[in-house]
Amino acid sequence: MTAEHSRRDPLAIDFCGMDFATPLVLLSGCVGFGEEYTRVAGFSNRDVGAVCLKGTTGQARLGNLPHRVYETPMGMLNAIGLQNPGVDKVVDEILPTLDFDETRFIANVSGSTIEEYIAVTRRFDDSPVDAIEINISCPNVKEGGVAFGNDPDMSARVVAACRQVTQKPLITKLSPNQTDIAENARRCIEAGTDAFAVINTLMGMAIDAESREAVIGNNQGGLSGPAIKPIALLKVHQVYQVARPHGVPIIGQGGVTSPSDALEFLIAGASAVGVGTALFYDPLICKKINQGIRDYLDRHGLASVGQLTGSLTLNTPRACG
Amino acid sequence: MHKPHRGTIYVEDAKVLAHEAFAGEQYIMRVQAPRCAEKAQPGSFAHLQCDPMLPMRRPLSIMRTDPRAGWVEFLYKAVGEGTRLLSRRKLGETISVMGPIGKPFQPHGDRPLTLLLGGGVGIPPMVFLASSLRSNPVYQPLVIMGSEVPFPFKPRPSEILVPGMPEGVIATMPLLEDWGVACRLTSGAGFPGCHEGYVTDLARLWLDTLSEEKRRQVEIFACGPHPMLAACARLAEQYRIPCQVSLEEFMACAVGGCAGCVVEVKTDQGPAMKRVCVDGPVFDAKTVF
Ligand SMILES: Cc1cc2nc3c(=O)[nH]c(=O)nc-3n(C[C@H](O)[C@H](O)[C@H](O)COP(=O)(O)OP(=O)(O)OC[C@H]3O[C@@H](n4cnc5c(N)ncnc54)[C@H](O)[C@@H]3O)c2cc1C
Ligand SMILES: Cc1cc2nc3c(=O)[nH]c(=O)nc-3n(C[C@H](O)[C@H](O)[C@H](O)COP(=O)(O)O)c2cc1C
Ligand code: FES
Repeated sequence: MTAEHSRRDPLAIDFCGMDFATPLVLLSGCVGFGEEYTRVAGFSNRDVGAVCLKGTTGQARLGNLPHRVYETPMGMLNAIGLQNPGVDKVVDEILPTLDFDETRFIANVSGSTIEEYIAVTRRFDDSPVDAIEINISCPNVKEGGVAFGNDPDMSARVVAACRQVTQKPLITKLSPNQTDIAENARRCIEAGTDAFAVINTLMGMAIDAESREAVIGNNQGGLSGPAIKPIALLKVHQVYQVARPHGVPIIGQGGVTSPSDALEFLIAGASAVGVGTALFYDPLICKKINQGIRDYLDRHGLASVGQLTGSLTLNTPRACG
Repeated sequence: MHKPHRGTIYVEDAKVLAHEAFAGEQYIMRVQAPRCAEKAQPGSFAHLQCDPMLPMRRPLSIMRTDPRAGWVEFLYKAVGEGTRLLSRRKLGETISVMGPIGKPFQPHGDRPLTLLLGGGVGIPPMVFLASSLRSNPVYQPLVIMGSEVPFPFKPRPSEILVPGMPEGVIATMPLLEDWGVACRLTSGAGFPGCHEGYVTDLARLWLDTLSEEKRRQVEIFACGPHPMLAACARLAEQYRIPCQVSLEEFMACAVGGCAGCVVEVKTDQGPAMKRVCVDGPVFDAKTVF
């Protein structure tokens, strides 16, 4: 712990050179372009370290046909289809309306080709956003439609290409829908990522037995919420092993709904913790999570939340007998 | 920068004050939610946590409010897991209610003959709209409600004369009758005093009795199942009457954050996907049908 830290609010962290008021980050796709939740009395963007804006592409996208969201046991499926007004409108019309003194705003970049990722990242580089998160879970339409993020080579190519066009902190959002997330993370670090977001949603499906139809308009959708938390914790732990030696921090996410969930992600290796689906349950959840973390730090005599990152004690696995 | 949208939706732990069951698994539930009651407008809905075990909320239209007493009333049908769990909530229990949400109905003063069409669990916003129109002497609301299961109230013969109604169509909703609002009921199930058919059938009969000049003073407001709204939109187009419909779609956030609840809307710039929760739930019928 630095002397600087000890004078600061115990919840404050430094993330890639950005000051986060708390380790909480509102997740992309759950909070529109940053203003939507402020409709709720008592909600404030000041309660979180950063807000990730909705996934943005080169051109406007109308997104998928309904139904786009559906509750599943302890979670939900979504297939929004990246509805967004396109990067020019986001930069020219939406960013000027945001209050940058309330929190840090992180752009979330998507594309169907590497060229699109580059173009969108370049446009955000020349904008007031504090950092750029690249969502590599999108299908690569030029090369067979496999998601960039499911293949370490393609992931690294996207990261390297975006790195070329921005000096802002670059956060790579890793997909859990792949065999070796740690290898992918290693390649992304080589390609120049500054941080990771772990994990994006897992692909799933819902079926209405009566009508024998797929419920989601897009047939398949991303699973989020408490159902994915154990998977997310393991992935954060695995990526942390690779990222720690390089000082590359992680925004842990997937099913955080309580202070204890947030603490678990920090302990697994995250420096910041994402909150998405839980907002749909309780829009005022962040205040409660912040308070819960504060109480925990007090109880454990810790001066800063940063001390928790990677503080996990592992068992020594062995077969019995 | 002025941000008028901020702080307009409240999250309240609302105590259940009354919860009554009706035929066809319909329920009327009254909860104590003073901030929602104060700000709700006809067409607004609330996003309710049905049960702590089912964390995702469910949207329900607001049927009545009493801003002074601080309560809000809903009418809902138990159709699935969420609404079934909700129906088990007892008096005195608390339910997290988030509201009011959405753009309300907007009656235009130059069309005082307001025709309110409510089908099934589309009845609630029509009751709310009727209660607000009756307090403005400009408007002469006529409410037509339809249901294929018994109505969630005991219909009674109306003493309010509605010119143009077929012989024998006399049943009304007692609450609206007490408010002095003209109302008639329709059903395919042959309930006494009700018109045999759909709400749009009775609406058409009534419209046909109006002069061309009178018809230019009509505005239609509708809420109900999708096919009914489509029929309302066709009726409105045929008679060249403006029509506002309240739509439903699956929701997650209900504050505009997730783009989960969109419907396709025709705009001057071509098709757009609009959010039912904050861009609606009320839309101009000709833009969505
Ligand atoms: C703005 C709005 C106002 C509404 N007002 C009323 C009302 O006043 N009274 C009433 O009885 N019903 C109303 N509904 C419909 C009501 O929200 C659904 O019946 C309810 O969500 C079903 O949930 P469930 O878990 O019981 O059913 P399930 O079928 O098990 O639901 C599964 C999922 O699908 C969603 N879903 C299913 N049907 C609908 C639907 N028609 N609309 C939206 N989401 C749906 C649910 O929210 C849930 O996430 C309204 C819907 C909207 C969007
Ligand atoms: C409705 C919805 C839309 C989402 N849209 C995006 C998106 O545009 N870009 C992205 O990188 N992630 C998107 N996500 C994934 C979330 O940012 C987050 O990684 C995931 O939901 C796991 O966290 P949670 O369980 O707390 O929601 C979306 C998630 C949801 C539920
Ligand atoms: S439900 Fe999230 S935008 Fe409407």
